[in-house]
Amino acid sequence: MRLNLKIWRQAGPNAAGRLVDYVADSVSTDMSFLEMLDVVNEDLTKKGEESIAFDSDCREGICGTCSLVINGIPHGPDRGTTVCQLHMRRFKDGETVTIEPWRARAFPVLKDLIVDRSAFDRIIAAGGYVSVNCGGAQDGNAIPISKDIADAAMDSAQCIGCGACVAACKNASAHLFMSAKISQLALLPQGQVERQRRVLSMIEQADAEGFGSCSNEGECEAVCPKEIPISNIALMTREYVKAVLAAK
Amino acid sequence: MTLDAKIPAGPMAEKWDRHKFDMKLVNPANKRKFTIIVVGTGLAGASAAASLGELGYNVLSFCIQDSPRRAHSIAAQGGINAAKNYQNDGDSIYRLFYDTVKGGDYRSREANVHRLAQVSVNIIDQCVAQGVPFAREYGGLLDNRSFGGAQVSRTFYARGQTGQQLLLGAYQSLMRQVHEKSVKMFARREMLDLVLVDGKARGIIVRNLVTGEIEKYAADAVCLATGGYGTVYYLSTNAVNSNVTAAWRAHKRGALFANPCFTQIHPTCIPVSGDHQSKLTLMSESLRNDGRVWVPKKQGDTRSPEQIPEEERDYYLERKYPSFGNLVPRDVASRNAKQACDDGRGVGESGLAVYLDFKDAIKRIGQDVIKEKYGNLFQMYEKITDENPYEKPMRIYPAIHYTMGGLWVDYNLMSTVPGLHVLGEANFSDHGANRLGASALMQGLADGYFVIPYTIGHYLASTPLPKVTTDHDAFKEAADNVQQRINALLAVKGGRGIREIHRELGRIMWDDVGMARTEESLTRALSRIPKLREEFWHDVSVPGSPDNLNQSLEYAGRVADYLEFAELLALDALERRESCGGHFREESQTPEGEALRDDEHYSYVAAWEFQGVGTRPTLHKEALVFDEVHPTQRSYK
Amino acid sequence: MSSRIRVFATSVGTKLLIGITGLALFLFLITHIAGNALILLGPTAFNHYSHALTSNPLIPVIEIGLGLIFLVHIYKAVTMYLGNQQARPVAYQVKKGQGGPSRKSFSSTTMIFSGLWLVLFVVLHVKGFKYGPYYASEEEGVRDIYRVVFDIFRSPLQVGFYIVSMLVVGSHLWHGASSTFQSLGLDHPRWTPRILALGKVLATVIAGGFIVIIVYVHLFAGQVGQ
Repeated sequence: MRLNLKIWRQAGPNAAGRLVDYVADSVSTDMSFLEMLDVVNEDLTKKGEESIAFDSDCREGICGTCSLVINGIPHGPDRGTTVCQLHMRRFKDGETVTIEPWRARAFPVLKDLIVDRSAFDRIIAAGGYVSVNCGGAQDGNAIPISKDIADAAMDSAQCIGCGACVAACKNASAHLFMSAKISQLALLPQGQVERQRRVLSMIEQADAEGFGSCSNEGECEAVCPKEIPISNIALMTREYVKAVLAAK
Repeated sequence: MTLDAKIPAGPMAEKWDRHKFDMKLVNPANKRKFTIIVVGTGLAGASAAASLGELGYNVLSFCIQDSPRRAHSIAAQGGINAAKNYQNDGDSIYRLFYDTVKGGDYRSREANVHRLAQVSVNIIDQCVAQGVPFAREYGGLLDNRSFGGAQVSRTFYARGQTGQQLLLGAYQSLMRQVHEKSVKMFARREMLDLVLVDGKARGIIVRNLVTGEIEKYAADAVCLATGGYGTVYYLSTNAVNSNVTAAWRAHKRGALFANPCFTQIHPTCIPVSGDHQSKLTLMSESLRNDGRVWVPKKQGDTRSPEQIPEEERDYYLERKYPSFGNLVPRDVASRNAKQACDDGRGVGESGLAVYLDFKDAIKRIGQDVIKEKYGNLFQMYEKITDENPYEKPMRIYPAIHYTMGGLWVDYNLMSTVPGLHVLGEANFSDHGANRLGASALMQGLADGYFVIPYTIGHYLASTPLPKVTTDHDAFKEAADNVQQRINALLAVKGGRGIREIHRELGRIMWDDVGMARTEESLTRALSRIPKLREEFWHDVSVPGSPDNLNQSLEYAGRVADYLEFAELLALDALERRESCGGHFREESQTPEGEALRDDEHYSYVAAWEFQGVGTRPTLHKEALVFDEVHPTQRSYK
Repeated sequence: MSSRIRVFATSVGTKLLIGITGLALFLFLITHIAGNALILLGPTAFNHYSHALTSNPLIPVIEIGLGLIFLVHIYKAVTMYLGNQQARPVAYQVKKGQGGPSRKSFSSTTMIFSGLWLVLFVVLHVKGFKYGPYYASEEEGVRDIYRVVFDIFRSPLQVGFYIVSMLVVGSHLWHGASSTFQSLGLDHPRWTPRILALGKVLATVIAGGFIVIIVYVHLFAGQVGQ
């Protein structure tokens, strides 16, 4: 299989970027999308040309490092799939494939297809945790948690922090990302003590990072590799209202 | 050099408690005067950095990923062991200790393992308090599942994403400390050297992976939690960026490397589909509960599986191990798969796979039940291979999964370099020659949450540590050293791809230092590795510049270190002329073909001291003493 | 965290406020079309309804309130739009809808434009009717607003403008009506799909209803005295 690639190349954060054409020859349908890029890169390397920079790590869909927009869709055409789990059998011989980085003010491009997502870390740092120091915890079974609640919390906790939600949203909003963490901790008894403080701080931080607002389109849910629904955003809004009403 | 493991005196069950009392403390007001560097943000690194920050130390945390949340602990699926005995099935700290020592084939240090079992119960409490959504029963209490190597249900889990949830718990605690300003986070930094001042670890040199800058950081102590070295085999279940570099550079600065030949091979991975493959995906071991493993009886049989009649199939595990059948331990299952393929009876295009067939199970309990039990795994398999495992048997093959060896540490998790502590998979201590399932997460968090916060305090309180800044000559020397190596890599300008050489190294390691090792194969590896290393330094192509984001340069540096480290691994495997756990020497087997330990000659930890690249390292032995659990021969017939 | 947070200044607060005001405007539209439907009953009923409204002493207060709601809705929506534009300074070269469960539609992507059109429309609409010509009806002190309606919709130009505007209203509501619920955090696995469907039905009914009235008036305008 042969593919025509149009790949975003950008030398550095402040450099101008552009789409550059490459040809991927002898692509096997068993390859993952990133392995296809590995082969392109190996050829470039052998020729002494700089390889195309892209982020990836676990290559099994859980670390959230890979982050490519493929033909206009973050993580590519398959639902519930990260780009590392996307396979080349999904593409046709001779197809043209455009590959771009996540685009958001809060995710500046560092090089080629690599962006800086540290804004997500700062959102978590603002309150995405239960403030318990190590050592003082009571027995794990001291507070029973109904299976339904634990399962619902787990549904939200599955977020891998890849940022596809931001990349897909026309407003580059981080609402789905932060609402997943806020929901998880709001559902569990351990998260109750700080729930008001948490929602206010995290939203304040996300706004300060330059993410947009939410237009309820649900594009984020559609690309989320863990298929986290926007009902989390609604829950976050309720948390916000409660926090605001309770604030002194 | 004599290796002193500093195991506390007293009865096994009291050692840790006594030691905690005997250790010196740093008073709360003084803690902030101490700076501690923690490299790596997996379970061990993130939990250590967070806990040390909570205590009030001034912590500098480093990771190579773009965020600490992405460390490869995130990919652990199955669960985490703890001796809670919530199931009332006879579990205890002693039983977990016993199972772990036995599972490690009597090559681990008893005192460390006992402490691990002891603190395992606190880990679960801590994680629950953090909001980790562990699986629950309808009554609201924590659920458990059973795992290999144990007869009790002691494994806690969060669906198939236990590692993710535990890591996010630790990561969130870490980010809280970042917010509180007790931890400074440095992401996208790769540790490239350890700095010693007066023989003590006092800092590190890192490369800023975005700007290419070589940065120096000084501290009073350094913790390495940089994971294992599975990617020396090129293909493994590890993340593609996992590497040995930080540990190896520390080794070159004097930290002994222990038992590098103890590598774990997982029998049920999705097989390699071609040269392009970058990593292997694990399929949970639980599949062997219902799947039957087989290969054709005839060599070179290329018929598709449904065309091979029953009488022409060899269900070799059931044939050879009638009592355990398909449920033999990981190492046995892996070795037998390799033997079948070596015998020319492997299946699939590459011939490097065996079938795992669910046809009989589907017939017996129905497709719906199978779907309920393994649906997500079947789906994952189909996604990767484009084959429907309900209709066609799965193809599986073993893959490198975990490395039990690592930098040598004493009971306090300190290496042979004073001040350099090593945590998690990066150290060697707790799993002996074979790790039990669901114990890696336990060890990472035990080290980070409950061991290092105590032992590092003792080190800081009992060691004179004059103020050192990065202006010290040792930092300049180390930074120059790092810079030179980077320049050397860029200067080769050859014609071979880095990946190509790494792949070749992987092939050598897999063929000659893999699942079944012989005097001959290991000797061969020891001659092939230096040749490949030479080729690398003469003909590798590392494009780009040193002063910006350059993934080729990062990769080349890691492969260069692997080309040195691989030799040590092979040498250790050669020198250990016994079979134990994941290390199988064909010369040392029972008449039935099982691993045969040689306790008389090899009941020790092999700790290697670096003497220069290409120079034979010096072997130091730490004798293993078993006061509690007495070594016996394993049998699964 | 500031102790006195500016509740409606955050991205979530902005949504809330747009949602609340949007819901209020939506309810207003429902009463509006209900009132307008009286036109089908003839001049007396319609003029009496209109008179009852305008002579109510509370009306100025309500009008001011409604105006404020409009202004807040517009102000928040426009500033949010501008803020959102800044959140992605470099556009994608290729961008596709994500499909699947996404609620994205032509309507949702054009909310700002449909909204701005409606600002213009409301100004002209109020100018044409509320501040339009005063015809006395046969009853003392009752304005013959019925006649104003028929006057205006005699013009095909006005009819065209109004029909287009009503289509824009429909489009705005197609996304906006159900979206307010999500903005207010009202979500339920069983009810949300119904709310989404109902929003589209009401958008169609409201826009269609107004258009029917306009067309009706236009067709029968010849029979009403000049």
